[in-house]
Amino acid sequence: MTTALAFTDNEATITYTSRLMEEDRLYFVAIGGPPLLAILLSKQLRTPAIAYVVEDGTIAPEMPMPTPPFMIGAGLASRRAVAWTDMNTVDFHAGLGYIDYGVLAAVQVDEFGNFNSTFTGGEFDRPQRRFGGPGGANEIASLCWRTVLMTRLQKRKFVRKLDFMSSPGFLDGSPGARQRAGLPPDTGPWRVVTERAMFDFDEATRRMQLIAVAPWSSVDEVLADMEFEPLVLRDLAVLDPPSEDELAVLRTQVDPTGRTIAGEWIMLEETGGTFRRVREASGAKP
Amino acid sequence: MANTPGAIRILDEGAGAFRPPDPDGSRAFVREHKTRKLVDKRMTEQEAVSRFVFDGAYVSYDTNTWRRGPSSLMREIIRQKRRDLWIAAKFNAHDATLLTAGGCVSKIDVGWMEVGRVITEAMQAGRVKLYEWTNGALAYRHLAGALGVPFLPLRYVGGTDVFRQSGAKLIEDPYTGAAVCLVPALNPDVALIHVNQCDIYGNARVFGPGLAPVETAMASKRVILSTEEIIDTEEIRKHPAQTKIPYYAVDAVVYAPFGCYPGTVPGLYRADLPHLMEFGVAQAQGKMDEYLEKWVFSVASHTEMLEKRVGLAKLDQLRAEETHTEGYYT
Repeated sequence: MTTALAFTDNEATITYTSRLMEEDRLYFVAIGGPPLLAILLSKQLRTPAIAYVVEDGTIAPEMPMPTPPFMIGAGLASRRAVAWTDMNTVDFHAGLGYIDYGVLAAVQVDEFGNFNSTFTGGEFDRPQRRFGGPGGANEIASLCWRTVLMTRLQKRKFVRKLDFMSSPGFLDGSPGARQRAGLPPDTGPWRVVTERAMFDFDEATRRMQLIAVAPWSSVDEVLADMEFEPLVLRDLAVLDPPSEDELAVLRTQVDPTGRTIAGEWIMLEETGGTFRRVREASGAKP
Repeated sequence: MANTPGAIRILDEGAGAFRPPDPDGSRAFVREHKTRKLVDKRMTEQEAVSRFVFDGAYVSYDTNTWRRGPSSLMREIIRQKRRDLWIAAKFNAHDATLLTAGGCVSKIDVGWMEVGRVITEAMQAGRVKLYEWTNGALAYRHLAGALGVPFLPLRYVGGTDVFRQSGAKLIEDPYTGAAVCLVPALNPDVALIHVNQCDIYGNARVFGPGLAPVETAMASKRVILSTEEIIDTEEIRKHPAQTKIPYYAVDAVVYAPFGCYPGTVPGLYRADLPHLMEFGVAQAQGKMDEYLEKWVFSVASHTEMLEKRVGLAKLDQLRAEETHTEGYYT
């Protein structure tokens, strides 16, 4: 029997990221977007007791479900927090070591987990495409114990050389590089999550390492979509596709407007545990 | 490491221009120009902007045009055609875009800001120059300014291209010998802060998560408050723990209900999403001039804009739809 499955690339990335959440830990997110959705999804399905702080100084809010539209500008997003502080205060808390994980979106990432959210193409003063800037990502990636990055698996995103390093990974990868730049020890990127592959970082070389691949993709296909070649773990894990439960909660509770989860559709057919990517899903049309 | 006095070692430094810290200049300014007398500081937005926001000024605001930001004061700056401003775009929404579209800005310290056609084209034409910081680093530079010190150490920014394009320095910490970054204090010429409540002297309350309202106010030479509500000083004195900014820091109190419109003041009114979409469409289609004509230049004041362009029914609706007030006014 063949079952059809359809989800977007963003839904996959958010789902895989949500599965990394560890109960009772404290997370740091910028104001909205896929990282916050991953945390909310995990809070709904697996880890009700994780808490998060937001750049604007909100500590451990309880976001109403379904989430309000235009979360960035909604007072509801900070409702039932334990404290309303300010940006410096939550950055101090990260600096003190209270915040376990930062979860961030990246425009470009290099093999040491450094990332860009400033511009691509052209020069700094005359960029082809300018983005909003690091925002709080630089401090989050510097101060939290572990950083999780979310992006799409594309050659122009997994680059040999960033157009601009907005936020730090392991810098040049040499031992102690982060400390020599004034960052606290034992911090740094921990996972990079995409819609088809997941990476960690080799402890000795600090280089990115492929650790899991989606069952409808392959190592060769993943490597072909990266400009640099990562290390590849011998025993690769399989990234199970988003489940019906995960997709339902994501679509009806976590992002009911569909703005953040929208993306490129991935349509699959599953027969006896084997997945095949198809152009047109036969059954479940999104 | 020997304990002999000597120069602190600077290991590296960024190449970005920055507003030089001047704590003594700020102190002297405060001594000379900031009254400690309880005086009624109420004035119109026209008067506040024409008196305190000058061409070439460094302007900082808190938070942004989407949430509890001083949108009405920004529109007045555009209306009065201020030029060559240097702004701190920490945790911006489309604030920097609006002021750039109005031709008011030539330098932007960037933490995060909405970037579309307006900023991109202004950069390409060389009309605005960007300096890189982060949201936190800018908030922290305001903190240094508010503490009256010339710089503060921090444990981020280092190692990145943000560091290269900023005015940060990496030094050897004289206490531990470890590397640590320094950032210069920021003392803006003018702060624009939209508050929930204040009295006629400027004792101000800000509800909800802030960005850096207190740091921004205390670091700045001049402080313009716009406020949703003016309350009695008796009320302030009954609940002193609620006061975030004391009167002596404040130069102007501008009564501005719906002062953040089209953004939200949580607990009071919702953001006007269709308006924000109108802004987005105007930018994408290169029609910012039309947008500014409609919302800024064709009306003489914030009040007139609310009456003629938004309308009472819409304002009532935005208030009614902000149903969650817990923690703000309850």
